[in-house]
Amino acid sequence: MLEQFLLGLGVVMQPEVLVYAFAGVFIGQVIGVLPGIGAITAISLLLPVTFHLDATTSIIMLAGIYYGSQYGGSIASILLNLPGTPSSVVTCLEGYPLARSGRAGMALFTAALSSFLGGMIGVAIVVLAAIPMTTIALKFGAPEYTMLVVLGLMAASMVGTGSHLRALAMVLVGVALGLVGADATTGYYRYVAMPELADGISLVSLAMGLFGVSEVIRNAAARAQSKVQPQIRMRDIFPSRSEARTLPGPILRGAGIGSFFGALPGTGAAIASFMAYAVEKRFSRVPKRFGTGHLPGLAAPESSNNAAAQTGFIPTLTLGVPGDAVMALMIGALILNGIIPGPRLMVDQPTLFWGVIASFFVGNIILLLINIPLIRLWVLMLRVPYQKLYPVIVIMICVGVYSHRTSVIDVVLTLVFGILGYLMKNYRFEPAPVLLGFVLGPLLEDNFRRAMLIYRGDFTIFVTRPICTVLFTCTVLLIAFSIYSSISQRRRMAAAATDGPASTP
Amino acid sequence: MMQETGQMRAGLFDRVVGGIVLVLFGIAMLAIGWDYPMGRVNQMGPGFVPLSIGVIICLLSVAIFWIDLRDETISSAPALDWRGLIFVSAAILVFAGLVEFAGLLPSMFLAVVVSKLADRTNRPLGILVYAGLATLAGWLLFLVVLELPIPAFWR
Repeated sequence: MLEQFLLGLGVVMQPEVLVYAFAGVFIGQVIGVLPGIGAITAISLLLPVTFHLDATTSIIMLAGIYYGSQYGGSIASILLNLPGTPSSVVTCLEGYPLARSGRAGMALFTAALSSFLGGMIGVAIVVLAAIPMTTIALKFGAPEYTMLVVLGLMAASMVGTGSHLRALAMVLVGVALGLVGADATTGYYRYVAMPELADGISLVSLAMGLFGVSEVIRNAAARAQSKVQPQIRMRDIFPSRSEARTLPGPILRGAGIGSFFGALPGTGAAIASFMAYAVEKRFSRVPKRFGTGHLPGLAAPESSNNAAAQTGFIPTLTLGVPGDAVMALMIGALILNGIIPGPRLMVDQPTLFWGVIASFFVGNIILLLINIPLIRLWVLMLRVPYQKLYPVIVIMICVGVYSHRTSVIDVVLTLVFGILGYLMKNYRFEPAPVLLGFVLGPLLEDNFRRAMLIYRGDFTIFVTRPICTVLFTCTVLLIAFSIYSSISQRRRMAAAATDGPASTP
Repeated sequence: MMQETGQMRAGLFDRVVGGIVLVLFGIAMLAIGWDYPMGRVNQMGPGFVPLSIGVIICLLSVAIFWIDLRDETISSAPALDWRGLIFVSAAILVFAGLVEFAGLLPSMFLAVVVSKLADRTNRPLGILVYAGLATLAGWLLFLVVLELPIPAFWR
C-alpha cells in the first residue's frame, strides 16, 4: 500500500503534473471564494479543455478544483455570510458571528486548519480503503452493481434537507434524460426528437445548464449588495490554548462523519457538513452557544466536507459509481479520455489511480500553504462584483459546450436546461439529483437488464447474493430511517404548534 | 415594483404547478415510449426501463401534487427575474446562431454585449469596452492557449 502510494507520489512530483495539480487547487480555491460559481460549473467548463491533457493530469486537475473549492467556500461564508459552495452553508452559522465580533482571522485560521486535517484524514482513508475496496469490487457482478446504484439513488433522495419525494422525482427525471439516444443493448433509438440527439444528451450540456446558466440568470440582474468587509489582523489569527483544546474532538468526529457520507454513493460534501454540524450540536454540552460563534461548530463541518470531498473518490475510482454530481463529472472526464473507471482501473492504470490519490495528499498541503498567507488576495477577490463576472461566465459556458461536440444544438440545449434549472429551484426542486440520476441511470439500466438476462428473470438474486444482501439491507435501513425521522420531525412541529398558540398571528 | 415576495404564502397555482409539470413529463414519457418493444423479464427490450420509470414518475408526481395542494404553509415562489432570463437567453442564442457563420470572436463579442444588458447599471461605452476586453481574453484563452479548433472569423 505504501509502495503504491509512493509510486503515485512519484507521478505527482513530475514538474508538469505538479503544475496542473497546483492550477487545479488554485482554481478551486478561487471559485470557492467567489459566490455564484461552484465546483460543478468550473469542472464542466474545464472538461473540454482536458481533451488536450493526458488522463492522469486531467483528473488530478479536476479533482483539485473540487477539493480546493471546499477550502475556498469557507472564506466567503465567514467574511460575508455568503456561502461560496453548497457545503459551506453551515460554516456561515458560526463563522460569520465570529467575524462580526472581530475574530475573522481566527475563524479563517480554524476553518483552514480543520479543512486540512479533515482532508488529510480523508486521504488516509482513501489510501487504506483502495486495495480492500478494489478486491471487493472485483467480485461485483451485474446484480451487485444494480443494487449499489439503487442504494446511491436512494441515498441521494433520502438523506439531507428538503422533500425526499421531490428529490426522488428529480433523480428519476435525470434517469429519464439519460435514456435519450440509442439503447446500449439493442441500438434502438429512444426519445430521439432530432438527429443530433442520437448520441444522447451531453453531460456537459446538462451540467452547465442546470448549474451554470441557471445561476447566471438568477444573479445577473440582481442588485449589487453593499459588502461590509471586516478587518483582519494577522496578529490574532491563532485560537487561545483553551479554545484550541476544544477542537480535536469536533475535527475528528467531523472527519469520521464526512468520510462516511463521502464514501456512500449518493451523498457528498454538502450533506456531510450538515450532518457534522447537527451531530456536534446534538451532543454538545453547551448547545445554546451554537450560532453565536462557537468554534467546535465551525471546525466540525469544515473538517467533514473536506474529508467527504476525498472519500467521494473511493466509489468513483474503485467501482466507477459516482457518489454525487461532481463525481459524475469526474467519471465523465475519465470516459472522455478513453478510460473506463471501475475495479480494473487500479490494476490496468496503476500510475493514474495512485497518482490521483497521491495528488490529494500534495494538493491539501498546497491548499494549506496558499490559504492563510494569501488571505489578502482572497479578500480582494470577494470585492469583484458579480456584474463584472457573469458575461465572462456566459461565454465560457457557450464556448465550452460548443467545443465539446462542435454542436450548436448542444448550446441551445444548455440554455433549455438552464431555464429549467432556474424555474425548478424557484419551485423547490433541486437540480443536483437530476445530474446524478442522469449519470447513474444508464449504469442502472444496463446492469439491471444484464442481471435479469443472466439469472433468467429471477428477482430474488437482488437479495440473496451476499454483497447484494448487505446493499439491500442498507437501502431498506436508509428508507426506514428517513421515514422515521420525517415523521418524528412532523410530530415535533405539530407539538410546537399546539404548545405555542401565541406564535400564530 | 413588486417587493413583497418571498415571505408571502403561495397561491394555488404556485403550489401545484411543479406537480402538474412533472405529471405531464411522466405522461409524455409514457406516450412517446408506448411503442418501444417491452421484451420479457429475462430478455428486456428497450421499452421496459423507460416505461417503468415513466409510471414511477407519474405516481410520484401525483403524490407531490397532493401534498403541495394540502400544504398551505408553502411560501410563494420568488418572482421571475425577467431581465436576467431574457438577456442571458438571448446572449446564448446569439452565440449559438452566429458561431458557425461568423466565427468565434464576433459571436463572443456580441454574446457579451447582449448578456451585459441584463445588468441595469450599464452605459453603452462601458459595455463596448468590457466586451472588447472579454473577447480579447477569450481569444487568448481559447485559441492561443487551448488551441480549440474553432475558426476565429468567417472564412
